[in-house]
Amino acid sequence: MSTPPVKPARRSILRQPSWAARFEAAFFLLLRAGTYGVLFAAAIVFLDIGIKGGRVVFQLAPPFINVPFLTQAPETLNVVTLDGAKVKMGDREFRAFRDAHPEKLKGAPVETYVYSAGGIFPNIVGTVLLVVGAMIIALVLGVCSAVYLSEYAKEGPFIRLVRLSIANLAGVPSIVFGLFGFGLFVVALDWNVSLLAGWFTLAFMVLPIIITASEEALRTVPKGLREGALALGATKFQTIRTNVLPYALPGILTSSVLAIARVAGETAPIMFTAAYVVRDQMPWDVEKWTDFFFQGVMALPYHIYVVASKIPQNDYTRDVQYGTAFVFLFTVAGIALTAILLRARLREQYRW
Amino acid sequence: MATEQPPEPAVSHHVRKQLLAARKFRLLGRDRDWWIKLFFEGNAAISVVVLLLIVFTLFREAAGFMPGNRHNLEIYRRAGLEYVDILKRQTTEYAALGRQLSAVRLAWLQRLRAEGLDLPAANARLAAIDALDGRLADAIATHEEIRSEMTDHASSVKERVTVGMDMAEVRKNLLGGIAGSDAAHGAKLQAGADAVVVEEIDFTAEVNVLTTRFPDIQAANRVLAGELNEILAALPHSGDGVIDKQLTRLGDRLAAFRKGIPEWEGELARWRADRPVSFLEAFNAFAFGREWVTASFWQDWYGVLPLFFGSVFISVLALAIAIPLGICAALYVNQVAPRWEQGLIKPYIEFISAIPSVVLGFFGIAMLGETLRQFSQVAWLSWVPGFPMQERLNGFTAAALLALMAIPTIFTLAEDALQNVPKALREASLALGATRLQTILHIILPAALSGITAAILLGFGRVIGETMVVLLCAGNRIAIPDLSAGLGVAFQPVHTMTGIVAQEMGEVVRGSLHYRALFMVGCLLFLLSLGINYGAQKIVRRYRLPQS
Amino acid sequence: MTLNVPEKQVTAFIGPSGCGKTTLLRCFNRMNDLVDVARIGSGQIRIDGINIYDPQVDVIELRKRVGMVFQKSNPFPKSIYENIAFGLRLHGIRQKAKLDEAVERSLRGSAIWDEVKDRLHKSALELSGGQQQRLCIARAIAVEPDVILMDEPCSALDPLATTKVEELIHELKEKYTIVIVTHNMQQAARVSDHTAFFYLGKLVEFAETQKIFMNPSNPQTEAYVSGRFG
Repeated sequence: MSTPPVKPARRSILRQPSWAARFEAAFFLLLRAGTYGVLFAAAIVFLDIGIKGGRVVFQLAPPFINVPFLTQAPETLNVVTLDGAKVKMGDREFRAFRDAHPEKLKGAPVETYVYSAGGIFPNIVGTVLLVVGAMIIALVLGVCSAVYLSEYAKEGPFIRLVRLSIANLAGVPSIVFGLFGFGLFVVALDWNVSLLAGWFTLAFMVLPIIITASEEALRTVPKGLREGALALGATKFQTIRTNVLPYALPGILTSSVLAIARVAGETAPIMFTAAYVVRDQMPWDVEKWTDFFFQGVMALPYHIYVVASKIPQNDYTRDVQYGTAFVFLFTVAGIALTAILLRARLREQYRW
Repeated sequence: MATEQPPEPAVSHHVRKQLLAARKFRLLGRDRDWWIKLFFEGNAAISVVVLLLIVFTLFREAAGFMPGNRHNLEIYRRAGLEYVDILKRQTTEYAALGRQLSAVRLAWLQRLRAEGLDLPAANARLAAIDALDGRLADAIATHEEIRSEMTDHASSVKERVTVGMDMAEVRKNLLGGIAGSDAAHGAKLQAGADAVVVEEIDFTAEVNVLTTRFPDIQAANRVLAGELNEILAALPHSGDGVIDKQLTRLGDRLAAFRKGIPEWEGELARWRADRPVSFLEAFNAFAFGREWVTASFWQDWYGVLPLFFGSVFISVLALAIAIPLGICAALYVNQVAPRWEQGLIKPYIEFISAIPSVVLGFFGIAMLGETLRQFSQVAWLSWVPGFPMQERLNGFTAAALLALMAIPTIFTLAEDALQNVPKALREASLALGATRLQTILHIILPAALSGITAAILLGFGRVIGETMVVLLCAGNRIAIPDLSAGLGVAFQPVHTMTGIVAQEMGEVVRGSLHYRALFMVGCLLFLLSLGINYGAQKIVRRYRLPQS
Repeated sequence: MTLNVPEKQVTAFIGPSGCGKTTLLRCFNRMNDLVDVARIGSGQIRIDGINIYDPQVDVIELRKRVGMVFQKSNPFPKSIYENIAFGLRLHGIRQKAKLDEAVERSLRGSAIWDEVKDRLHKSALELSGGQQQRLCIARAIAVEPDVILMDEPCSALDPLATTKVEELIHELKEKYTIVIVTHNMQQAARVSDHTAFFYLGKLVEFAETQKIFMNPSNPQTEAYVSGRFG
């Protein structure tokens, strides 16, 4: 083909980047900038809390971790001006000092900041208790629901109702769960502000996540395994127990780790169902073992709310604020990261 | 159909026996598998039960609100507080005139100083307006006096009503105890109940005390009208165009106020203490009430409008930030980014969603709010509406953080929607010679639009239901923002529905009207979230793409 | 249609895709109970004269008597040993000695013992496709069924593995009644004693294999076996 019309086409293929190509490149650059803007914004949050909080939780001298912060209960901070220098003292220390040297304190100005001394040990314990209890309840209910949905259910009005409920439950705001837990468990069932009320509130909140994730995990188990077992004369339940659940379990657990992050991270549902601003006894200091379930606890997220909103922001309170936020953020983020990594590994491992 | 027929009966026997063997486990005529299935079915029903329990609990606790609020408004009216509030509204409006006069004076003073006059000289020039300022303030003094007397009276009546109700409650409790106790104790309770004095309040007489002041108010109004006429006549001219314009505007408002006096009077004259409060009125006071005032000595108002407005306002603001960024990231990751970048960005954004909201809220208080405010004070940014910020905690601070929470939701769902667009569409478009950008804008985005819309709706649901960030960072001022500030409205503090519940729930008396009002807000939030969810599901189902 | 599957012989079902061979096969041990769409409308399937859709029949017991091997080999992701022992344990055999003996017997019975005897406790997923399929057959015969249903057992295997499975089928018919669904006419000709030809959900012809392939009485059958359609 050497007829003239070929030439322009040939030229157009070889033509230098047109304005359209340049516009495209610019647009893609814009997309990229936006994306990295988001990542950057999140990084700032992590860095700010990581650096300022890291200074509280870690230290340069051995043992490199601020042990009292992690093992003591919160205390009131007293800032005493002695001989022109400001001295920080926890409440117990301050009282001992006052008894020992009453004369030194005469006329010395004392500023007090609640919760700003000591540590956050009871809060950590409380959060762990809340998360463990809520997850046990949610996993039992959620996995059993998912087994029904994926193994037994046949399309029908009941299943549609269940799926509709799950979808809608997933969208209910956490504060509404808080109100619900308060109205039902604390008031109507008269459990008071207690671990039990918090457990159920949190468990119901993550139930949709667990059900959806578990169902998905169950559905990835190949049909052949079920048929193989059934053909050998296993009952339905034997099949599920021996040949479905064990292979779905890694998937269920991995997705549940994300649910743990959600349970641990929520504040609103426990504000009026399970959390106390301050409590002197540790959870295991109970007279009867049943009291254990009916006691409120201190919790990290609620503590952050309290120290962020109820005490002034200054140099003396910053330590406990950032320290608590650091411990909380990086615990939750660590859990979430574990889940994400586990899932990535799982996807590679299980290709049926 | 098929039949297998055995030639040898020996095998037949043993097979037949086994095939027809009765199952061992039976309970109520059902076998084991049936019961196991029932167990799982029961578990699946939990979600339905929980949803129903939520509905039941919220509505049960909120149920008493309407009659309660009606009663609340009834007392407000019958004790005459409403009457006093008419007068109060008049004086409040009048006070605004005084503020405007001061503003004009300040502007004028600045003009004069700019012209080079020193302070005493400038003040001397403003003597006329200062005199007017004094007269303006004095003219309302009688009203204020009457109002203050009426306020004292009405609030004391209300106080007595409250005490009376408490006493009646005490008595009822004592009498209620009699039924279940022995004779001696019952007599004691009866005596105790008899000793409780429940004051019967003669509302007509009490309100008469207020309404008999009406002639005084009329007289005061006549004086006020006269004064206003004189003030209007005495309004000075500055000779400065800008100031004159402001003075004219002030004059117009003064005249308008004077003209409105008969209307205030008419409203007072028409007011009736015994007009019943309808349910609709009680409902409107909640749904459209512009005030949320609690634990007030005067009158509690439970108007959800400012809170609803605040919630929607912050959500819209947050979405305005999150939608472009979320979709931008979804497009980039799905269409543009190389594989290794995808593998980094996707988990990272998912990771962002794991940041607890209370930590973000704390970050807003400790860092973002202050940083933004200092940033807003930079001189060359003063053209931005709303800059410099008045408050470090405001709608924008909260919205920026909420956006960070909504982005992962929007990103993940939008990315899914893009992923679900059949590859064939993209390839067909590219094969026609479209550029990648044209393919994205004309083929892929429209095809994924329903999914992206659903993503945005669910992002909206996430944002409007979020509590801790708005509680900590939105500034918590219960008022509808001043929309006249234009775009600067973004930087005003607001309060939200979620925030008010979290803030006040811990402190209210169980069963009180305030408590029920908070549950009403909870119901509203719940219904809102159901609506959003339903809409998102509907969109997804309706416009689902055919899957290959 | 009526079809008499003779005992201790191999019966092959052939026919083009979608003609209902597999569905029929799965009715024989009521695997179709799991699928809503497939229901026995009218007619009966009788084993030993017992209608297996009789409500008195215990479906679990039925499946124990009527084993099945699937198109896609589906060894459980457990060890080879556990794969075989699974069915035995289901039916209450717990003693180690008995299990060991049964595992060896069924593995020998399915001609795979020599290949796996040294790695009984390795994962079954490490076996090759043909070995996996023979393992599945071993798993099926471990519970000592009377009938074995095979649903295109060789369709995913290479020719060498296919040969081995076919040899195995040949040996198995000494002890078991075998029904095999196959796409492959040569295979049907090689392994079966009787052949049923299905077309569009109907049984067209059922006769001895020799007759079907050499001298079919139905023109459709002839067209199919001579490769003119299907």
